[in-house]
Amino acid sequence: MDELELLKKDWQSGETDFKSYTDSDIYPMLHRKSSSIVKTLFYISIGELVFWLLASVLPYMLSTTFREKLDESYENPLFIGISIFSYLVILLFIYLLFRSYKGISSTDSAKKLMESILRTRKIIKFYVIFNLTLFFLSIPLSLYFEYQDNPEFHQQIVEASTTQMLVFYAVSAFTAGFIILILWLFYRLIYGILLKRLNRNYKELKKLEV
Amino acid sequence: MNKELEHSFVEQLQKHQNIVHKVCRLYTNNADAHNDLFQEITIQLWKAYPKFRGDSKFSTWMYRVGLNTAITLYRKSKRRINTQEFENVQFKIKAEEYDDTEEQQLKLLYKAVHQLNDIEKALVFLYLEDKDYREISETLGITEVNARVKMNRVKKKLKTILNP
Repeated sequence: MDELELLKKDWQSGETDFKSYTDSDIYPMLHRKSSSIVKTLFYISIGELVFWLLASVLPYMLSTTFREKLDESYENPLFIGISIFSYLVILLFIYLLFRSYKGISSTDSAKKLMESILRTRKIIKFYVIFNLTLFFLSIPLSLYFEYQDNPEFHQQIVEASTTQMLVFYAVSAFTAGFIILILWLFYRLIYGILLKRLNRNYKELKKLEV
Repeated sequence: MNKELEHSFVEQLQKHQNIVHKVCRLYTNNADAHNDLFQEITIQLWKAYPKFRGDSKFSTWMYRVGLNTAITLYRKSKRRINTQEFENVQFKIKAEEYDDTEEQQLKLLYKAVHQLNDIEKALVFLYLEDKDYREISETLGITEVNARVKMNRVKKKLKTILNP
């Protein structure tokens, strides 16, 4: 193509068109803050970790009644099991995330680099799904524990009519669903904005393989 | 040791900085954006430098990191306002070579290239830098056949942009 050859000629001759940086211009550049998406992704994942840790620890620290109740619940092996499991998942998440970040290298091919970033994002996504599921399950579970241990609540449930029970179920399910939906949309928004360009470029590369 | 590393890095980057400038030229359209991207590529190069073994040329290694930063890693900052267009800065008219039609044609060509997507720009960039299809395919992570196919499509697309 003639035009592209013309461009090439100009491109290769135009070596001096740019402001040439001196050594003393470049030195300070090495120590400035990076604004790469990997760094942002890293901060978000740390944020997620802290958020879910706080969400599980804060009520325990701040409310005495909650603490007393929780201490009682720890007598139940099922509850202990779930707690241990969730802490193991957090440890696993930290390990996987760390390994995944280590695997991101700017010297890989463009496609491989995109894949490593998307893999990291997937790990964070699974962690979020895990927490949301746990949150969703915790509602019927805590109601069940309450039903078992709180005679007053037990009595109320036993005396409730079918309609009252239906309303009760519906309200609980709706509230839980609503909170999860909001959180999910929030995540979609954050990652959607952050990785929009990457996803578009990755699709473009993948399209070539078909 | 660290100072030594820093010194050798800055020396090499200074020598080959045109590669970075050229990446910035394709992926940005104003001077501020150009400088921001240059800054980010420098950081990414410096971060990757301790692992640079010298088994490939420094310049080849720069192509990869530079393009990866422009296509994938770089997060455009919000504070930038896209006002000042680059055109005037880019086209220095050399008096002795002044040719109205060629000059005009180049202007349109650069404009057309700017309308391509990120991946297409990468192909054009490597093509303009005279890289063979093996290197293009390795840099982008696609097969050589696909690199050729894509390059042909890009040429066609440029033609369509130029002669709608």
